Amino acid sequence: MGMPPGGYFGTALLVDLSTGSGRSETIEEPVLRSYIGGAGLGTWLMHKYCPARVEPLDPEAPLIFVFSPLVGTPLTTSAKFAVVAKSPLTGRLTDALASSHFAIAGKLTGHDAIVLQGACQEPSVVVIDRDRIKVEPALDLWGLSAAEAEARLRDRHGPAWRVAAIGPAGERGVRYATISHDGRHAGRGGLGAVMGSKWCKAILVRAGTKVGSADPAGVLAAAKGLRERSFGAATAKYRELGTMANLLAFNAISTLPTRNFSAARFEGAPALGAEEIADLRHVARNSCASCSIGCEHIYRGPGGTQARMEYENVFALGPLCGVSDADAVIAASSRCDELGLDTISTGGTIAWAMECVEKGLIDAPWLRFGDAEALLRAIEEIGTREGLGELLALGSRAASEEVGRGSEAFAPHVKGLELPGYEPRTLQAMALGLAVNARGADHNRSGAYEADLSGVHDRLVGGEPHVAGAIETENRAAVMDSLILCKFLRGVFEDPFPEWAKLLELVTGWDVDADELAVTARRIVLAKRLFNLREGWTREEDWLPDRFLSESLELESGRTATLTAGRLTAMIDSYYRGRGLDEAGVPSPETVSELSLRGLTDSEPIGAKVG
Amino acid sequence: MQVRNETQTGLTAEIRIVPLWAWALAGIAFIIAQVFFNAVLGRHSGAPPAWGRALMGLAAGLAAIGDRAEVAYVSSTDVPLLHPAFVRRVVGALDDQVDVVLPEVGGFRQPLSAAYRIGLLSAVEELIAADRMRPAFLFERSRVLHMGEAELLLNGPLARLDPALASVSNLNEPADYERAHALPAPEVVVERFGPLAKPPAARRETVRAWSLGGVAAAVGLTLDEHIVAALNGDKITRDVDLPLVSGDTVAFMVADAGG
Repeated sequence: MGMPPGGYFGTALLVDLSTGSGRSETIEEPVLRSYIGGAGLGTWLMHKYCPARVEPLDPEAPLIFVFSPLVGTPLTTSAKFAVVAKSPLTGRLTDALASSHFAIAGKLTGHDAIVLQGACQEPSVVVIDRDRIKVEPALDLWGLSAAEAEARLRDRHGPAWRVAAIGPAGERGVRYATISHDGRHAGRGGLGAVMGSKWCKAILVRAGTKVGSADPAGVLAAAKGLRERSFGAATAKYRELGTMANLLAFNAISTLPTRNFSAARFEGAPALGAEEIADLRHVARNSCASCSIGCEHIYRGPGGTQARMEYENVFALGPLCGVSDADAVIAASSRCDELGLDTISTGGTIAWAMECVEKGLIDAPWLRFGDAEALLRAIEEIGTREGLGELLALGSRAASEEVGRGSEAFAPHVKGLELPGYEPRTLQAMALGLAVNARGADHNRSGAYEADLSGVHDRLVGGEPHVAGAIETENRAAVMDSLILCKFLRGVFEDPFPEWAKLLELVTGWDVDADELAVTARRIVLAKRLFNLREGWTREEDWLPDRFLSESLELESGRTATLTAGRLTAMIDSYYRGRGLDEAGVPSPETVSELSLRGLTDSEPIGAKVG
Repeated sequence: MQVRNETQTGLTAEIRIVPLWAWALAGIAFIIAQVFFNAVLGRHSGAPPAWGRALMGLAAGLAAIGDRAEVAYVSSTDVPLLHPAFVRRVVGALDDQVDVVLPEVGGFRQPLSAAYRIGLLSAVEELIAADRMRPAFLFERSRVLHMGEAELLLNGPLARLDPALASVSNLNEPADYERAHALPAPEVVVERFGPLAKPPAARRETVRAWSLGGVAAAVGLTLDEHIVAALNGDKITRDVDLPLVSGDTVAFMVADAGG
């Protein structure tokens, strides 16, 4: 490839952790244009570098850090990176995004992606300075939290270095362990366990070069306009209260999952709502690098501790476990951060276990809904894989398969990934989005709740409008996660695809338009599906746990929310048709051809076939 | 002021037995049947009395519902003050021993503010075929639960929300309409969430308004792309014309639910 387009280096750095060696491989421009970056490019790289049917924690399974064309520009919220791997929790593709300076420094090593392959010989850190790679022993860091390891490494190497690290949960292979940087996490799907399986405590990167844009003046002007718009009403929620603002609103509309999804309203919600506790506990508001929104809200916990609180933390460790003690929820969230645990999967798995105890399926009488001490103990045991933690570290799907006796019916997962805080029976477009998404039950790759909460259709009666909403929001997420732009910015785009295409054009110089970007979105969504297919996915995985299809919820209005298997099947069938899939959920030959996916349909990694 | 009519009752969650769509369908079918009768039968054989049109409308409505529900609440189209609590009270009184729940208000039986078992369709059709068009003939061959005002008002929510049983008040003349306009607007509870609850805004207050738009205006909000409302924790909407009744709760929240 000649000169790479603006915003790219056109290379991936392949790092062999077992030898400490590395080499740069070209990523051809057609691939960059077809998959953009972030989650999209990461999917293509997984097709290329992940051996088929490899065990997720096998040294041969790659762990890929992926950057994107907008990183390094002044465009607000663009300092994000994706981490991609085969999930030990789901056995399928997982991609998680995180923010801040690691994205900028990582990209300015001069690569669009860093592919970690193999495993270190001992607990180590990998240091990447442009093309120079060094694997350093780091036994002294083993056992530390990600934040502690990050601080020590920056003391040791210097403040110019940026660090992504795992906590003790990742070291111990907890299947929903996170990778963390600067207090933010690539959280879902157990990427920290993949990193831990490689004996890799941290990856250090330092900016060593620059990246240009095709139209620097145009990018600057666009950045200025976008920044101004980011101060408007569309982001007010995030600025003023953060995502915690969801909690009481969701409770009011019976959408707040409670006690392992046995209810959708929580009597203890007021004690946890940001509107209620902000005056007493709110300490500060922070932003990611290159972000003008500032959604991060820091709360004071017990004993002077502080924690960044998000809706998903609070829902999962509060209502889902029946806990209404704000001190306990803040402490639990903080402890999950220290251990390196995905709070959603942690809360979901513990809530499932609490219900098992209630039903006499697990002998742990201390683990009761609503018991704050039990919640904290369970988190500790998961992080250390001691006691009940050995079982719960597997996640709710695998744990329920072990416990059996009907506990699978209320294990709150799709494809092994625990559900986020959106009740599918009262958000039935979201029910579809959760069921069909490649990553599993997820609110970031499918924002179908937007359709439910738009008021355009009846959120309790899923049908064709819900399917259209689920597809549309999934497409938009695919583009945002690949450019990458923060989804909290999405409300400022009045006509997203043309506006995003313009941003991409300014940075890359491509004559990309909205139509092309719409095709790209569909391609990325199906590329993920094709990866899962290669790894053994079947249609049965696009489904919800039995609980949601056999138990109704009564709203405060008196109306009953019911999601039947027949209705879900009809929506999935329609989704498949809308996506150009056959009845088994497999892309049709016409779809493969239209979206230029042919290189991804073989059962083996694509190797050098594309490019 | 906005006066509610049958198609604007906002009965999103009022009937435990009959799904909303069936209830709405019954009403629509009733209207269609009336139009049909007036336009066709009325023209050729002379307009029948009101009770005759009612029985034919009932037949059309029950037929339209078919096997999709067991019970229908049947209403005339000129009762804009109909309260969901009244519907709930009447429908809720119908059990296995009863085919019709027939309110008696103001000294009159109210066959067009009553609940009917769908299975009565054949009986209704037989009566029509026999030109026995009075609802009373149907009641003679049905199991009817008569509910007087006192019994209706034993229901707490109905006694609180429609103590005068205005739900059955017909508005037929301009004077009726004017009187309705003069009524105080219903009391509605307003809740605010997220940044909309930022002080000095009250997080929870009571206002009087006939419509969602009226409520929004009363609390200084505009239902634009950034704000939605939830009615009684159920319907999400930005419909400023959505009629409200006393006892409704309107929750205003930011439209962007991301998190």
